Amino acid sequence: MDAGHLENDGGRIIAASLNAASVKFGALTALSDITLDIEAGDFWTILGPSGCGKSTMLRLVSDLVPPASGNVEILGKTTEAARLAREFAFVFQDATLLPWRSALKNVELPLEIGRKRGIKIPTGDRTPLELLELVGLKGRENALPHELSGGMRQRVAIARALVCQPKLLLMDEPFGALDEMTRDHLNLQLLDIWQATGTTILFVTHSIPEAIFLGQKVLMLKANPGRVKDVIEIDLPLPRDIALRETPPFNQYCSQLRKLLEEC
Amino acid sequence: MSVSETLANEPAQKKGLSDQSRARLINIAIPLGTAITLLLIWQLGVRVFEVPTYIAPAPTDVLQVFRSDFGLLMQNFWPTFFESLAGFFIGNMTAVLIAVAFVHSRLVERAFFPIAVFINTIPILAIAPILVLIFGPGMTAKVVIAALICFFPTLVNMVRGLQSVSPQALELARILSASKSEIFWKIRLPSSLPFLFSALKIAATTCVIGAIVGEWIGANVGLGALIIEATFNFRSPLLYATVFLSSGLSVLLFASVTIAEKLIVRW
Repeated sequence: MDAGHLENDGGRIIAASLNAASVKFGALTALSDITLDIEAGDFWTILGPSGCGKSTMLRLVSDLVPPASGNVEILGKTTEAARLAREFAFVFQDATLLPWRSALKNVELPLEIGRKRGIKIPTGDRTPLELLELVGLKGRENALPHELSGGMRQRVAIARALVCQPKLLLMDEPFGALDEMTRDHLNLQLLDIWQATGTTILFVTHSIPEAIFLGQKVLMLKANPGRVKDVIEIDLPLPRDIALRETPPFNQYCSQLRKLLEEC
Repeated sequence: MSVSETLANEPAQKKGLSDQSRARLINIAIPLGTAITLLLIWQLGVRVFEVPTYIAPAPTDVLQVFRSDFGLLMQNFWPTFFESLAGFFIGNMTAVLIAVAFVHSRLVERAFFPIAVFINTIPILAIAPILVLIFGPGMTAKVVIAALICFFPTLVNMVRGLQSVSPQALELARILSASKSEIFWKIRLPSSLPFLFSALKIAATTCVIGAIVGEWIGANVGLGALIIEATFNFRSPLLYATVFLSSGLSVLLFASVTIAEKLIVRW
């Protein structure tokens, strides 16, 4: 493995690196020639018109779909090696909890998979119980998923994703199915979690304000085939609060991104 | 503060509880009342129109048999009970194992599913004599018939249950690099349980039918044999009592499965 890919010119660690990566589904090119370095610890949001391959990009990085050409590396490893080492975790739009397991048991699932086969599973600094506390579900650890609200279920899914302390967290419209209030609340909580854990986050969304509010960088994709349209740095201070959304700089980013999105 | 709050809440809670228990009482009272009324109509009808006992006995005649012939009824109840239970376990176990094989291998499914469908299309009354000829007049033939009648609904439901896992759950398993057996034990099998229990509820009643049909063809003991004997001797009250006992056996098995489901499938 080429260790040179681990760091960029500025000496920062590269969490994920895509080199001229393309994805094809039969005759359809879903992603074409994506070249991108994502530095460790950054929060990227991915925005684009529907069908531009936002989700496909996460699935490419997470070894769920193979590249048709080019390659993807995670911390200098192949995506498969990174998957086996649990370098990344995935949060789906649907919480995808196992309905017969309590919240705590769901968070513990990644620790159980592979244990009997003697695979070394990385465990984080935080226990599953502490992670539930981190996502604000202290006291609900024994609840079954159907006893929790949609927002709570999604927070269990986030705790589950964090249990192996991934260096890279891939989130595919995790709050897309939630109401506005819950979404705002979870956005703030996610920023806290990001700062508490120091993980790298790739976050797909179709909401422009959400992309700006969360991201340090917004990756804009365009469709047919999916390509990089632009990367916009969001120069807004951290930590962020909801009031930031009423400020002129925030609104400027909104109109800038809306214009870009219309061009796609 | 908290004490007064508890005190203030208490009467409200008590009232809520009594409302709940009253609702539960009404839920039991309505079907029970209907059943008692129907029995009364039956009793009156038989007495008023002077229907001969061998054509239609009054409920009191049937009750009388339960008292006078209790030993005879029980003597025939237990063989049917064990045949049904053994058939239930063997039939469902086989169905579950074959369903697992089907889900793991498309080839096995393609090879054996048509055969399973074919076996299911043969009326149980037609196949029972064949099985009695093969296994003889003992308990075995009845167990096999009871197992056979349970088999198909459980096979179909279990295959559906094992396939009911959402694609996202499978993607989650892939991201966690789960092995095939981990996916089976941790995701597929638990997902299939609600489907399995639906099938087991069907099987709980049909296995009794299987055992009784088996006993009709050739048996000295069992509720099926008693039904035949009572019919040919015009002992209608005994016949009715036997029929009620058979249905009681089905209810018992059905209730056991329902309780097991409540305890296991809590989601």
